[in-house]
Amino acid sequence: MSTSPTMMPTPQKPIVLTCHDIERSFGGLKALKGVSLNVHEGEIFGLVGPNGSGKTTLVNVVTGFYPPNQGTITLFGENITHIEPHQIARRGIARTFQNLALFKGMSVLDNILIGRHIHMHPSALGSFFYWWGAQKEELANRRIVEEIIEFMQLQDIRDEPVEAVPLGLQKRVELARALVAEPRFLILDEPMAGMNQEEKEYIARFILDAREERGVTILIIEHHMDVVTAICDRIVVLSYGEIIAEGEPRQAISQPQVIKAYIGERAAQRQMKGAAI
Amino acid sequence: MFYRRAGIRHTRYEDERQLFPLTFDRVLIIAILVLLLSAPFWVERLYLVGYMVPWLIWSGAALGLNLLMGGAGQIHLGYGAVIGIGAYTSVHLVRFGVPLELAMIAGGLMSALIGSIFGAAALRVKGIYLAMATLAMQYIVDFFTQTKIISGGSLATLQVPPVSFLGISLKGDVATYYFCFGVTFLIALYMLNIRRTSFGRALAAVREKDYAAQILGVSTYRYKLLAFWVSSFIGGVVGSVLAVAYLRAISPDQFHLELSVQLLAMVIVGGLGSVLGPFLGAALILFAPIVLNNALGAAASAFGTDIPIDLRAHMPLLAYGLMIVLFLLYEPLGLAKIYDNFRKYLLVWPFRHAQK
Ligand SMILES: Nc1ncnc2c1ncn2[C@@H]1O[C@H](COP(=O)(O)OP(=O)(O)OP(=O)(O)O)[C@@H](O)[C@H]1O
Ligand SMILES: [Mg+2]
Repeated sequence: MSTSPTMMPTPQKPIVLTCHDIERSFGGLKALKGVSLNVHEGEIFGLVGPNGSGKTTLVNVVTGFYPPNQGTITLFGENITHIEPHQIARRGIARTFQNLALFKGMSVLDNILIGRHIHMHPSALGSFFYWWGAQKEELANRRIVEEIIEFMQLQDIRDEPVEAVPLGLQKRVELARALVAEPRFLILDEPMAGMNQEEKEYIARFILDAREERGVTILIIEHHMDVVTAICDRIVVLSYGEIIAEGEPRQAISQPQVIKAYIGERAAQRQMKGAAI
Repeated sequence: MFYRRAGIRHTRYEDERQLFPLTFDRVLIIAILVLLLSAPFWVERLYLVGYMVPWLIWSGAALGLNLLMGGAGQIHLGYGAVIGIGAYTSVHLVRFGVPLELAMIAGGLMSALIGSIFGAAALRVKGIYLAMATLAMQYIVDFFTQTKIISGGSLATLQVPPVSFLGISLKGDVATYYFCFGVTFLIALYMLNIRRTSFGRALAAVREKDYAAQILGVSTYRYKLLAFWVSSFIGGVVGSVLAVAYLRAISPDQFHLELSVQLLAMVIVGGLGSVLGPFLGAALILFAPIVLNNALGAAASAFGTDIPIDLRAHMPLLAYGLMIVLFLLYEPLGLAKIYDNFRKYLLVWPFRHAQK
């Protein structure tokens, strides 16, 4: 699953997201200490790092949940640093959550339909005069949702209550909900956590297809290094809120400071020696 | 059994999204509507006016409150006050000579306006604080309705002049019954439609997980406020119906905290977020105390003991409290959920263990 050379970002490709010198702390804990990065159009951009290194925090800063203490975020050339999440959603970002954030008590279909919110015109009056009001829009959007349901192969569980489907499928439902918003920039926070090899390959396929067929730029947080090296064009490695390496995935994760961050100093030294022999 | 899903294959999204996709549900709802529409022909007048009319009105009010509580997940302890605002606004207008149709809408708008002003302030806080803020609304509105300009004083009653709706006089019992039926029917239909539109889904998203709703583009504050607005509007309209069709003379104490608690109990006992729930809840909350009171009276005379009059007067409130606690403990989704379980059981019969 190597990416085709034509999809490799070239310097001419426009920039989708810029984080400039982002700082964010929680009480005394500095979760992000001056992070800067650029994501280019059409890229699959990996964000990796050990547990607690600040990956999710960075995504929460970008999507407006935790306003940064310092630094600026630019999306499609617009400064979105202190904009609320629901307004950021209207600027073409969609995301999934590390710990699922589906709406319990609703069907899989309704969960995905909510993803269409920004393309619809919800109104109290339109619901009152359903047959002359909301129905047309509901049906038009239902068609788009059904396309994604097919793309994500969720047809069989469409009418199930979302909490009744297995975890792996719930992750897929959340990805579908993000995709129906027709985002230009998609952020995935550990979409494959807790999945087996087969399910992981499925999701990797969906992600590659999403870029190919829909031209979405993707930022993905992922712990599985095999996946990262297989699908990402470029990665950034975070450790204790700082960027310690970046670049082509294979190259970036084999740097000594990255190995050290992951498995500790002594083990890293041992491994480096072992590699030298 | 009668409930069958097997063999039903919808080929158009319209069919699948209709209000009652299963034939049996459709037949059942039509049967109930026929029974209700023919009620004046087979229900005694006394029961029609004394039981059916209040049941319909309180169901309508509980539906309105349920939009806010079950639909958007926001508690309201001052819904009685919202109803009071609608009642006083429309009665004053009707006394002034304004047609009832307009007075009802004006009552709704006034309730919606005042309700969402309080809502806007109350929504800055969550949970228990929101409960306190809406309770404060109840007392503030109570204070104003007791003034001379609005009600004529805390003990004064305001007579409702004879009114007509769409040219039909509401003097007679039958016309009154159909009027109440029509209003509650429209509210129920509205609630059913909300659930299958983007508006209802946005409310549900806010209720279930507000941060996930936000990143999908749903402004949580806006939708909570909208829920306050619509729910208060319905409360106001029901308030005017209550005044002109049932009470016929209103006084401030009819819209106090007791009414709010009564409606809260109907929503919780009936089923949060359900459209059937408020009807079941209203029936239980309105009639259980009467049955209880009669039973108590019968028991007292049978055993030859006397039950203090104030105990009997407080019985209903005691019963509401008990029912709320029991339902919250054992069936938080209320009577509607019990019915739903039964329906699903029959749907999959004889396969007992299937989920749906
Ligand atoms: N809301 C919060 N309040 C306090 N501390 C927080 C909060 N969110 C994150 N943190 C802290 O910030 C640091 C970075 O957390 P973050 O969730 O961003 O890590 P992560 O890289 O996503 O880790 P993981 O791989 O485990 O998901 C951690 O030390 C965490 O405890
Ligand atoms: Mg994380």
